[in-house]
Amino acid sequence: MPILEVNHISKNFGPTRVLTDISFSLERGKALAIIGSSGSGKTTLLRCLNFLETPNDGQIIVNGKTLFDAADHAAKSDAEIRKRRLHFGMVFQSFNLFPQYTALENVMLASLLLAKERPDYKQNRREIHEEIEHQAIDLLSRMSLEGRMSHYPHQLSGGQQQRVAIARALALHPDILCFDEPTSALDPELTGEVLRVIRSLAEQRTTMIIVTHEMAFARDVADHILFMDGGVIVEQGTPEALFENTQNERTRAFLHRFSQNS
Amino acid sequence: MKTKKFLALLLAGLVGVSMLTGCGQTAGNNNETAESDLAYVQDKGTLVIGITDFAPMDYRDENGEWIGFDADMARAFAENIGVQAEFIEINWDNKIMELNSQAIDAVWNGMTLTDEVTSSMSCSAPYCINAQVVVVPADVAGQYQDAASLSALNFAVESGSAGEDAAQALGLNYTAVQSQAYALMEVASGASDACVIDLLMAGAMIGEGTSYPDLTYTVNLNEASGSESEYYGVGFRQGSDLTDAFNEFYAAAYADGTVEALARTYGVQESIVAPAE
Amino acid sequence: MSASTATLSSVTLTLLEGFGTTAQLFVLTLVFALPLGLLLSFGSMSRFMPLRAAVKTVVWVIRGTPLMLQILVIFFGPRLLWGFDLLSRFVAALIAFVINYACYFSEIFRGGIQSVPRGQYEAGQVLGMTRSQIFFRVTLMQVIKRVIPPMGNEFINLVKDTALARTIAVYEVLWMGESYIKSAGLIWPMFYTAVFYLVFNGILVLLFGWLEKKLDYFR
Repeated sequence: MPILEVNHISKNFGPTRVLTDISFSLERGKALAIIGSSGSGKTTLLRCLNFLETPNDGQIIVNGKTLFDAADHAAKSDAEIRKRRLHFGMVFQSFNLFPQYTALENVMLASLLLAKERPDYKQNRREIHEEIEHQAIDLLSRMSLEGRMSHYPHQLSGGQQQRVAIARALALHPDILCFDEPTSALDPELTGEVLRVIRSLAEQRTTMIIVTHEMAFARDVADHILFMDGGVIVEQGTPEALFENTQNERTRAFLHRFSQNS
Repeated sequence: MKTKKFLALLLAGLVGVSMLTGCGQTAGNNNETAESDLAYVQDKGTLVIGITDFAPMDYRDENGEWIGFDADMARAFAENIGVQAEFIEINWDNKIMELNSQAIDAVWNGMTLTDEVTSSMSCSAPYCINAQVVVVPADVAGQYQDAASLSALNFAVESGSAGEDAAQALGLNYTAVQSQAYALMEVASGASDACVIDLLMAGAMIGEGTSYPDLTYTVNLNEASGSESEYYGVGFRQGSDLTDAFNEFYAAAYADGTVEALARTYGVQESIVAPAE
Repeated sequence: MSASTATLSSVTLTLLEGFGTTAQLFVLTLVFALPLGLLLSFGSMSRFMPLRAAVKTVVWVIRGTPLMLQILVIFFGPRLLWGFDLLSRFVAALIAFVINYACYFSEIFRGGIQSVPRGQYEAGQVLGMTRSQIFFRVTLMQVIKRVIPPMGNEFINLVKDTALARTIAVYEVLWMGESYIKSAGLIWPMFYTAVFYLVFNGILVLLFGWLEKKLDYFR
């Protein structure tokens, strides 16, 4: 059973249709890369998965459980959406770290807030806090940020900030980790360190969806590629099938344009 | 909801302001006065008297207690009707609104009975005679002893006062200021050449041994213009039965010599007025 | 009270008494106007159109009319219309100040809240935070940092605006200073009130400087 099934998702912004009948699935431990030019709808798709946008149509199923169904008209409470959201982690293009917290605090904050809802929080407050801190330190170390734990975001480089953001997303143990153009806001010399981290996550069999412009990276790391254009999935398949043997004109044109640009 | 309430309030304010600016026929909140203002005051046990700092009528002694010809008489009147007198220094511009809104029960502060005052309050019979006098620096007083000499001067007068009316009647150049105290300040500082204030106040506040030793008063404008005399009266809410109560009290106090004794204490014995027969 | 008794120390004592009223008015206005302003700012950003329109209208009316007029309306209005005389002079002035300043504060808060990037809310959302957690744990500090400079201005304005309470005979420091003109023809006590305002505002300037520095640790 795939960990994620997306069925017939459509999304309109007012009269403009930005996603049309999007369907795909993802197996546990696999990395999916979504490519396509700007405005092709890939970021909107990712935001739909994270409930930052509500699709007008379709279903989202995780682990066989329907998280979203547009046909189910009953409005979802904030609390309900909040719970469902936690199946996904999200790393934003512009990091969106909380500026008033240190790197460590950024990673710990959400876990601490969630822990407060545990029935045993009051008795074991100390232990829970320590456990969360250990986990956060461990995550930041895996991001090679041992020496940056008590730095504030503005004291970190873009690449370091994005690695803190990745640790922050991982801290909640999402089933699926989403990256929205994680290196687009970075200076070229800083993209490498972030891509290395994502690559190592892929090697550790983290289930991921990566929206990216880094074609070589997508080809290298992803198990599956989705090419979007004009709000529809034009083609999907293995990296080899897409990058080397595509029969589709639009895919070919896009890849051609890209190889010329870079 | 909030908007509505606010608009209601704003309306209230406009009503109040219009009353203040002299369309005084509109009586304010009269449901109590329709019964008995006296009973209302006796019921709450205090007569709240709106005053300003205005020697020798209302001013503070060394201990900060309000004294003066008006203050002492107000205390006596309050005692007469069986209540405590409470003095509140008010913003003189708002005196009619203060009265109508029952924030105070009487305006008792050497108030000249002008048309504006008598049409918007229920006023007592006169108890003091007053005149408007010209105040100038003492060293130039010799040049300004008659009405004809005044046209060259720039005056300061209290806005809306009897002094302003007099200055207007004589066609003097004047600036209207906030109070008689400010009018004096204008002259003392040289900002204005002269001012017009109440004779009673001039007697208490200027000349040797007072706050303004270098000023003196010269022309009596009421005499100079041949206009009728001015009187001080106590102002109550329109339709109030406190007015009659005061008139009775004053007649009795005048008859037994209390008023004159009080007047001598504050040096205004020349000015008191006998009650009407 | 004659000129001879108005010594520096007696005037200082009198002015201090008036300044007590000024300070009370200042502190109590802030205590009520800051939270009310925050509520109003939420109202002005509400997705519920009637509420948003109502709040914007109130803010427009209050910011668009003189504070002195509002003080008169609140003190005299209820008395003249309904014979409702529960509001003392001080309380009426306080209510007028609270409403007036809450409206100004609400606009400052709104500006501050709207200047926090959308990404901050979204980051909180995807981390499973509730609306109130996002507000208190993520945006509030950033809002505070952004509103401190304009708030400093408003606080200083408020100190000086308290002088308007004299319209309805609340005996604040300027009234007390002015009383010497009425009673003794002395103007220097009124000039002397400036010292009180300056010292108080000086303390505020230092306080805000310190706060700005304190929040300098993040950007």
